[in-house]
Amino acid sequence: MSLHEVNPSIKAFTVVVSILILSVFFDPITPLVTILWSVTVTFLFGRVSFKKWLLLFTPFLFIAVIYVWSTMLFPRLQVGDHIIWQWGILTVTAEGFQRGLSLGLRVLSFATLSIMFTLTTKPTDFLLSLMQQCKLPPKLAYGIMAGYRFLPLIREEFLTLKNAHRVRGVAGARTIPEKIQQLKRYVIPLLAGAIRKAERTALAMESKGFTGAKNRIFYREITVSRIDWIFLFLMIGAVILSAFISWKLGYLQFYNGEL
Amino acid sequence: MLAKWKLREVIVLSVLAVVFAVVYLLFLQLGTVLFAMFGLIGYDLIFGIWFIVSIIAAYIIRKPGAAFLSETIAAMVEVMIGNAVGPRLIISGMIQGLGAEAVFAATKWKNYSTWVLMAAGMGSSVFSFAWGFYVSGFAALSPGYVTAMFFVRLASGALLAGLLGKYLSEGLAKTGALNSFPLGKEHKRNVTV
Amino acid sequence: MSLFKQLEAEGLGFSYEERDIFTNLTFSIQKNQSLLLLGPSGSGKSTLAFCLNKLYPEAVDGILNGSLLFEGKNLDDFNQGELNQKIGIVFQDPESQFCMLTVEEEVAFGLENFNVPRIEMEAKIEAALAMVGLHDEKKSTIHTLSGGQKQKLALACVLALEPEVIILDEPTANLDPQSSTELAETIARLKKERPFTLIVIEHKLDDWVEIIDRCLVLDSNGMILFDGSPRQCFGEFAPFLQKEGIWLPKVVNAGIAAKNAGFYKGERLPLRHHELLAGLENSVAFSIKNNITVSLGEPILEVNGLYARGHLKNINLRIHKGEMTAVVGANGSGKTTLSKCVSGLLPLTQGQIHFLGMPLSKWKEKELFKHLGYVFQNPEHQFITDCVHEEIGFGLEDQAAIPAILEKMGLEKEAAAHPFSLSQGQKRRLSVATMLVHEQDLLILDEPTFGQDANTAHEIMEVLNEKEGSVFMITHDMELVDQYADTVHVLDKGELIFSGTPESLWGNLEIIQQARLKLPFRKRLQNDLVRREIHVAT
Repeated sequence: MSLHEVNPSIKAFTVVVSILILSVFFDPITPLVTILWSVTVTFLFGRVSFKKWLLLFTPFLFIAVIYVWSTMLFPRLQVGDHIIWQWGILTVTAEGFQRGLSLGLRVLSFATLSIMFTLTTKPTDFLLSLMQQCKLPPKLAYGIMAGYRFLPLIREEFLTLKNAHRVRGVAGARTIPEKIQQLKRYVIPLLAGAIRKAERTALAMESKGFTGAKNRIFYREITVSRIDWIFLFLMIGAVILSAFISWKLGYLQFYNGEL
Repeated sequence: MLAKWKLREVIVLSVLAVVFAVVYLLFLQLGTVLFAMFGLIGYDLIFGIWFIVSIIAAYIIRKPGAAFLSETIAAMVEVMIGNAVGPRLIISGMIQGLGAEAVFAATKWKNYSTWVLMAAGMGSSVFSFAWGFYVSGFAALSPGYVTAMFFVRLASGALLAGLLGKYLSEGLAKTGALNSFPLGKEHKRNVTV
Repeated sequence: MSLFKQLEAEGLGFSYEERDIFTNLTFSIQKNQSLLLLGPSGSGKSTLAFCLNKLYPEAVDGILNGSLLFEGKNLDDFNQGELNQKIGIVFQDPESQFCMLTVEEEVAFGLENFNVPRIEMEAKIEAALAMVGLHDEKKSTIHTLSGGQKQKLALACVLALEPEVIILDEPTANLDPQSSTELAETIARLKKERPFTLIVIEHKLDDWVEIIDRCLVLDSNGMILFDGSPRQCFGEFAPFLQKEGIWLPKVVNAGIAAKNAGFYKGERLPLRHHELLAGLENSVAFSIKNNITVSLGEPILEVNGLYARGHLKNINLRIHKGEMTAVVGANGSGKTTLSKCVSGLLPLTQGQIHFLGMPLSKWKEKELFKHLGYVFQNPEHQFITDCVHEEIGFGLEDQAAIPAILEKMGLEKEAAAHPFSLSQGQKRRLSVATMLVHEQDLLILDEPTFGQDANTAHEIMEVLNEKEGSVFMITHDMELVDQYADTVHVLDKGELIFSGTPESLWGNLEIIQQARLKLPFRKRLQNDLVRREIHVAT
């Protein structure tokens, strides 16, 4: 079995459902076990390069740390919390620390699940699958594809604009009004060019007989097999099992509907 | 909903999404700096920029669904680019788009004044905050901090999405690239009159 | 040839945004005919083409009047999309006619639209790609193809649907001369293999003269000016068409020039090389270029042992004061990389560049770009303000100089317009003007005449020619090199393989072939003349 062959829609659905389930829990153990599980699956069945994985994962580590200290410094205080450190208005409690840790790990568990999807799914396959399995209208799907094609072009244009701004001596921006002016100088030419090209692309697609009709014979068929369902149940089962382990260890904590 | 859309409009929508996906990436760096300086609330300061495409798309194309679809497509394109936030981002995009769409729907998609655009940005703020409250577990934070985050995000939605979106769309209308869209036609009428 | 009328238009008119694009056109096109659709820019040629396969009026909310029949059936009676299988079209811009990521998916896209059974698709895709010579690129990403390959892919997409009519809407406007010729040759070969009706809209006509058998000319008001054979069109009406601002084949232009100078004795204007040669009396006088040898000034920029981007290898060259330098070479030979290195926009891996006696790396950016200007290929990239007047005045100390520049560039009426709303030619002139006002010592231009019409191209070259400082220009256009350059540098796969005068380059056929260049028209004519004289002598 390879993660690359799992049906993209089912893969995406699996990740989203897992995240929704994980959001119910406020303890560190559930996300931690999920992280270990999804990293194992990614490397065992995904043939993913570790370097690429790390490149995507590192920013989330940083975000997780900030989550931990934001929650630690500004915690929801409850009666009976154990204060472990106090300085002025800042109060750190053992419970706050644990919740902070659980939010940080939650970010990382979302990240590992999502990276598993990102690194094993081709954009074209994802769109084809959304059309074939989820009945996404072809007009929208091919519209997205056509727009996505512009990405390398927009990147190139962006670099050219940067050079052009250097030549004309408007490269630097320090103050906020300057920054907004600069944003405008980039966005307007990029958009003006892209919109004209988009209109031409639409005409070209219609000239090839594209009407957006829903019945369509696809050159590449994206199928759903038993493996896909096994993947879905294994992954979601693992998240629930994580919560179970946490409960056994006595850590499990739900969202109590506090506002 | 989509039946009333021309292919041209769908592709322009998706191209808007792609361009702003690139802009979003640039702002991510700024966001991370603010994040590191101020904690979670740092992101809320510039959160509005992530809603800007729905304001711009709705203001230019003026059809039911423009705000919702553009934000959803932007999220899908980001996932296709390889944004590690992954499929969850599509749900976030849909929810943000719905927030702006709800405001435009309240005017029956007829009113695109500055106030409505700012309100639409705030609509995205409200919807996205509710989603964030659940998914990011804001319940674990002190209520005072969460309230502050909410109001900062609300202001950011009004200014960075609503007001800046209007400013950029009008800059774009001046280039003539929007001549076949309602905003471009309106601009042309104003110039010739 | 069958005289069956495939397309019939009667009283055809089209209006868009309360403006008539064309009115009251009546004509018919026979099956398997090759029609050249001519007209000045803005005469509605493309609009007409889009009406013929029912893309318009739906796509733009325009109003179509009169009747239009395909094989006797009114266009209104075809379902949406149905006609597109029978009438295919290749558009002008290679960057914006695809919606998929890879070559095979793109061809499949068209087949899917007509619900071709899946088992037949593979074979049809292979066949279509083979027809245009893209068989090896089946799995390639479209973004990695060259402009010429992209246009061939667009053609393959059309061919896969086995259409009866193929429309080409300026397919070579954004291609280099070599790729343009290749595309025309591909069409000519395909027409022999499998007949189809061909409608061509083109500006660069030389490659198409052999293929077409009929001309339909529109005037600037969108009315039919001429309908008949190419021989009659160019042979008798050419001077008239020229006045209308319609492009002519180079041979015809040369014929008109020779006739005006009094040494063309042919009855009709020539359409082919040999006819021009046969009609020329004083052949030598005609093809000699008035060569004023320029003595070169001091070198202002010196490149020594430059390596960059793992692509450029050991480049050595000088740019002298007042020199007009051209850089030529095939796509991907490193021309743009070199120009970026020379202007300090790209770091070098090895070697030195000295500008005005100081290493380029020592210059402060602000200071450098006061002495060195760069005109980008797409003029829009350079615009940073909201109106033409401000655009020229940006960073200029003497604001009083603006009106003179505006007048010189023919932009005085557009002073208040937004730079992006200008026409293609005006945008190009403005982008050159924004650099010219600063009177830099060196102006670098990346294909300044790319996608421009002949008039704009020459206007720009004249302005550059008058300019005080030196010019370093990337180009594909050998006619420009022949006419304006003092020195030409030839790049091939990152190496500089020739530096010298254009005249000495034309004499070096080995280099010309290696770098995939083309001799300029004047030189080809001269060579033919020499050959004829040898022929007469023997």
